[in-house]
Amino acid sequence: MDGERGSMTCKELERVLPELEGVRSFELEHHLRTCSACSALVSDLNAIAEQGKLLRTEVEPGAHLWASIERTLREEGLIHEARPQLVSVTPRASRWRFPWLMPAMATFLVVCGLVLYQRGGLEPVTVSPRIARATLPADARPAMFPEEEDVLKLVGARMPALRATYESDLRAVDAYIRDAELSARTNPNDELAQQYLMNAYEQKAMVYELAMDRSQP
Amino acid sequence: MTDAKRSQSDRLSEAEAIERAKQGDASAFEALYNLHKRRVYSLCLRMTANTAAAEDLTQEAFLQLFRKIATFRGESAFSTWLHRMAVNVVLMQLRKKGLNVVPLEETMEGEEESARKEPGADDIRLAGSIDRLQLEQAITELPPGYRMIFLLHDVQGYEHNEIAEMVGCSIGNSKSQLHKARMKLRELLKTSRAEKAARP
Repeated sequence: MDGERGSMTCKELERVLPELEGVRSFELEHHLRTCSACSALVSDLNAIAEQGKLLRTEVEPGAHLWASIERTLREEGLIHEARPQLVSVTPRASRWRFPWLMPAMATFLVVCGLVLYQRGGLEPVTVSPRIARATLPADARPAMFPEEEDVLKLVGARMPALRATYESDLRAVDAYIRDAELSARTNPNDELAQQYLMNAYEQKAMVYELAMDRSQP
Repeated sequence: MTDAKRSQSDRLSEAEAIERAKQGDASAFEALYNLHKRRVYSLCLRMTANTAAAEDLTQEAFLQLFRKIATFRGESAFSTWLHRMAVNVVLMQLRKKGLNVVPLEETMEGEEESARKEPGADDIRLAGSIDRLQLEQAITELPPGYRMIFLLHDVQGYEHNEIAEMVGCSIGNSKSQLHKARMKLRELLKTSRAEKAARP
C-alpha cells in the first residue's frame, strides 16, 4: 500500500512515525484522512501509548529488602556509625607508602575501558594480557592480579574483617568483566554490550577506590 | 525502624540525603531508598514478572548505586542515574539467563513489513478496546530490550533524552525502539484477539 495519498505516501509515513511524538503536519493529517490503514495504525499506536500510561502503578517491595541492603552496606563498611570527629594521630610513616597508586590504577582501568570502547570492538588480538587472564572460566577460580593482591593486603592490614568481602567483590567484578567482554565480542555492534563493558571497568575502578578509602586511617 | 527515625529520613531532601550518604550516614541511605524504591522495584517487577527476582534486582541496583554514590556529581538527575543502574542490572541479568535482549541496532523490518503488507486485511482496530490485562500480557511477551524502553517511556513516563542516558543509546535509537515496541505490541494484541475470536 505505497500508493500516493495526498502529499505523503504510506512508506513516508512509516518512516517518520517514530519521530512524531504527537506532532502532526498538514501532509500527515491529509494522508491519515485518506488512508484508512495508516489511520488505523496511528490510532492503535496512540491507544497503546495511552493505555501504557494507565499501567503506571508503583508497587512496594517487601519490608525485608531494606534490612538486607543495610546489612550489606554495613558489611562493606559503607555505613559509618555516628562518631565524634577524631584527630588522626597515626604517624605518616605507618600509612601505606603508595596511596597515589590506587586512583592511578582506577584511572588506568577506566582509560583501558574507554580505549577498547572507542575501538568499537573487542577482537581477541587486541585484548591485553591482563584482560586475557580475566577470560578464564569462572569455575577455574583464576588467580588474582598482583595489584589486586596488593589491594587486599592493604585492606587486610587496616580492616581484616573486610578482606574477604573485598576479595569476593574483586572476583565478582572480574567475572563481570569476563561476562561483559564475552557479550561485547559476541555482539560487536550492540551498544548495550559495549556499555556493559564500560560499566564493568567502572565497577572495578570503584572497588579499588572504595578499598583506598577504607585503607586510609 | 522507629517512627521518629522514619520521619527524620522522610524529611531529608534528596540533595541533603545524597551528601549525607556520601559520609556514610545510614538514615540518608534509607531516605534515598525510600524515595526511589517503588519506581525501581516496579520496573524490575514488570521486567521479570517475578517478585523474588524483582527484589534481588532492586537490591543489586541500590547496592551498586550506594557503592558509587561518592562519585555522583549531579551531572544528571539522581533518579536517572539510579535507573541507569537498574536498567543495566536487569538487562545483564536477563542476558545471563540466556534471554534474548534485542540489540539496539536490530530492526524489525521483516515483521513490520508483514504487518503492513495488507493493512486493510486485519480490520480489527484496537483503538478504544485495549484492556489492561491484555496489554500487560502482551508486554510480558515483548523482547526484553523493547519491553524496557516501552516501560520506561510509556509506563514510567521518562523522556527520550533520559532513557538514552539510562540505556546508553542515542535519543533517535530510543525513539526507534519505542516505535518498534509499540508495533510489536499491536501485533501481539491483534494475534491475541484473533485467537480469542476463533475459540468456540
